[in-house]
Amino acid sequence: MATIALRDVPALLRRKHQEIRRRLQPVRQPSQIESEDVQGLVFRGYGGLPHCRYVLLQVRDAAEARHWLAALVERISRGTPASREQAIHLAFTYRGLLALGLPAKTAQGFSAEFIAGMVGPHRSRFLGDVGESDPKHWSWGGPNNPALHALLILYAPSEAKLRALYEAEREAWSREGLVDVHTLHTSPLSEREHFGFVDGISQPAIEGYHKAPSGLHLVRAGEFVLGYPNEYGLYTARPLVDSSVPAAAAHLPSDIAGSTQRDFGRNGTYLVMRQLRQDVVAFRATLERLTQNPDGSSNPEEKARLAAQMVGRWPSGAPLITSPWQDDAGKAKDNEFRYHHEDPEGLLCPIGAHVRRANPRDALAPEPGTEKSLAVNRRHRILRRGRLYGSELPEGAVDDAERGLIFVALNANIVRQFEFIQHSWLMDPRFNGLYGASDPITGGLDDNAFSAPGNPLRARCTGLPRFVSVAGGAYFFMPGIRALRFLSELSPSSQES
Amino acid sequence: MAHQEALTVVCPVDATKADALQACLEGMRPDPGHNATLPFGLLPGCHFGRLLILPATQDLQGQTLDAHLVMLIDCDGSAQDMLEKLVATAGAGIDAVFGHCRDYPRSPAGAAERLAYLQGHRAPTPANYVHRPGRTVEQIRNEAKLRDALQAFVDANDFSSSTAQDVRRRILDFVAREASLQWALQPPPSIGIARRALDLVDLVARPLGVVAFGPVVLPAAALLMLLVRLQEMRDRSEHLRPSPEHVRRLSELEDFVAHNGFTAAGLVKRGWVRQAVLATVLPLIGWGTRHLFTRDSLAGVKSIHFARWIPLEGGRRVVFASNYDGSLESYNNDFIDLVSWGLNLVFSNGEGYPPTRWLLFGGATYEQEFKDFLRRHQLPTTVWYSAYPHLSAVNIERNAKLRAGLQGEMSEEEAQRWLRLL
Repeated sequence: MATIALRDVPALLRRKHQEIRRRLQPVRQPSQIESEDVQGLVFRGYGGLPHCRYVLLQVRDAAEARHWLAALVERISRGTPASREQAIHLAFTYRGLLALGLPAKTAQGFSAEFIAGMVGPHRSRFLGDVGESDPKHWSWGGPNNPALHALLILYAPSEAKLRALYEAEREAWSREGLVDVHTLHTSPLSEREHFGFVDGISQPAIEGYHKAPSGLHLVRAGEFVLGYPNEYGLYTARPLVDSSVPAAAAHLPSDIAGSTQRDFGRNGTYLVMRQLRQDVVAFRATLERLTQNPDGSSNPEEKARLAAQMVGRWPSGAPLITSPWQDDAGKAKDNEFRYHHEDPEGLLCPIGAHVRRANPRDALAPEPGTEKSLAVNRRHRILRRGRLYGSELPEGAVDDAERGLIFVALNANIVRQFEFIQHSWLMDPRFNGLYGASDPITGGLDDNAFSAPGNPLRARCTGLPRFVSVAGGAYFFMPGIRALRFLSELSPSSQES
Repeated sequence: MAHQEALTVVCPVDATKADALQACLEGMRPDPGHNATLPFGLLPGCHFGRLLILPATQDLQGQTLDAHLVMLIDCDGSAQDMLEKLVATAGAGIDAVFGHCRDYPRSPAGAAERLAYLQGHRAPTPANYVHRPGRTVEQIRNEAKLRDALQAFVDANDFSSSTAQDVRRRILDFVAREASLQWALQPPPSIGIARRALDLVDLVARPLGVVAFGPVVLPAAALLMLLVRLQEMRDRSEHLRPSPEHVRRLSELEDFVAHNGFTAAGLVKRGWVRQAVLATVLPLIGWGTRHLFTRDSLAGVKSIHFARWIPLEGGRRVVFASNYDGSLESYNNDFIDLVSWGLNLVFSNGEGYPPTRWLLFGGATYEQEFKDFLRRHQLPTTVWYSAYPHLSAVNIERNAKLRAGLQGEMSEEEAQRWLRLL
């Protein structure tokens, strides 16, 4: 019916207005974060707790596991000031939440990527998990590994205290219906990753919690925590629970978007975890091969320069944009730079450099160098909370062990944040007008190319191998504290609801 | 050089043969370019080709809309010529595919009958976007070869103490010496005079028509807008998510090469108002894509090679088909960030679209609701062919600039900038 009576118009207008306000009206004001309900990993990486262990658990008995959870919740670290002695965090896979008894209807409210998990033919192709990174070779999280339900992360100030913490927690989970299916040990916190570069410098600041020196890194809370307005001013989809489910009304906040349901997602975040194996020997050998003098002797200066161009920062962390010609420890923490006006063609920092791909700042469409470009960039940021594993490999030493990074990223929309960065920025050989050049550090091509623009011609390296491969991975959800309490009080009958 | 046209063929599927047709298409899927049935790769001037089934459904009045076999080709030159090439090349392959359609001749005597059938089922394409009108398949492929040759040439020589102009001169010498590259020294041929004349007529005639009938057209448009606004206030949409099974079927076809084929179909909202909007908007977009968005960008989106909007079944369904670079997620993000108004203009006439205001605002800016709407309406593009699967639209554009730089004189600075294309 195309016609409507004119007398209906005011009522229609009112109804429409209410509907849009409730569901879709973009929210521009910053909101205060309920940091006491958010797990503290969102806000900090625990630089004061250099020792860390990741434990992957499987639920064997749901009722006992809920009992374990009820006690554990009180030990989990929140966004409120942190303990200097330890930190504990807990996250679940989709299967883990179902195993604990989360109603299936609620669980369907999670994002499709989380429900599907990190492993599947399309997703593996999309993330570059092929060849030696194929999940069938993984040591955890793959189709040939035990099912994962939960991730327990333990932090402590010393190895001894970490061991004690681990033992105490192991005692608790193994007594109450859980088994550990895999444990990832990390090496003590170090500034430099295995290729020799300071890592983790550029992190977004969360609006409403962190202070930021400029708008460059200030990102709306809803990009990292569910239940707050995201960079579109909208609420990312969240798993909701019928108010009739026992314990829902007692523990869970109401749905901020206005439905009558309770919000299981609020103050939670998606945690992406990947074990990235670094081939340090291949990295060094390739740099050596590409920079040798014509007489076959080594050229350390050129080698350092090429490595810095591939990364986009010098080993100290000094960015090529502010320190183009040599490393400068004084600029190690520089992070307020942009790309477009300083270096539109990549003469200082190559377009294909790792950090310029992972976070292009103001370099991309629609209008490079403007707020519009930054606005797009803010929709593709992640919080990085990873740790290294394996021992450092001294230059020239015999390689006898595996080493790499336990990559941990937090975000509210896995496909728009983590997966987009991985696929469209890092892996895509055609990123930003490039031609057959995947990320020189983490790229997914076996025969990669890298170009550093120059005059009169670019310096181009071809035949770069993969330096980083994937040895395990999974998508987790790290619920808020109240949501954990709700989980711990689920009864078997909740599942019917 | 030829302009590009969109060939659209839509045929009703015999319901008893629908499964067999799907199986037939699945059989072609692994090798869309050179399969034995309908080898798109053997059709000179075919940029992109696809075959898919538009499933049967019920329209909003509860009437059944039949399943249709849809064949789309983006080609150099006229679509009619392409159809003839197709019939000549595929021969009995046409029977193997279109024989699943209700009204296909029982045992076609030969080429003439096949051609007549396909001609009879051509659907008009009122709005068609071409990334760069005039750029042929041959040109795109040749210019990619030119790039490879120049890369290899500069890699094989030491230019460390040369000026950019020196390097360019050496490159020009190299191209002039190589018999296989000499074509590149000529600029690409421009679009034929006849086509340009037609373009010019179209460019002027349509606005003139609006002006001539201005006293009627403008108040009518204003009235239409008002009616749309009233409907928008009454329209209800619900944020529904696509089923995991649907997403799996779609994604198993995606992200193998530089670009993907996207096909979606939706029901048009009830009533004449939306029909009138589409009858206005689609030719308007058609005019815009033909005359305004002709230089490597659809209103700011540089990742689309071809796109078209096809109204079907008396305007009750609309099909949108495109060839885009990168992932669906980045394609969607471009839509939302750059041209939400353009999408709203057409898609908001579709049932279930996120709420819009004044046809242009809202809609696609509701990120997740919009992405889920598109995904839910997307169809598996079962057979999809690209003539240059490793090239993005930006790659193609840069290769063309590289070739154009072989012309004329350059200052040192211009030569430096040109060399950065390598």
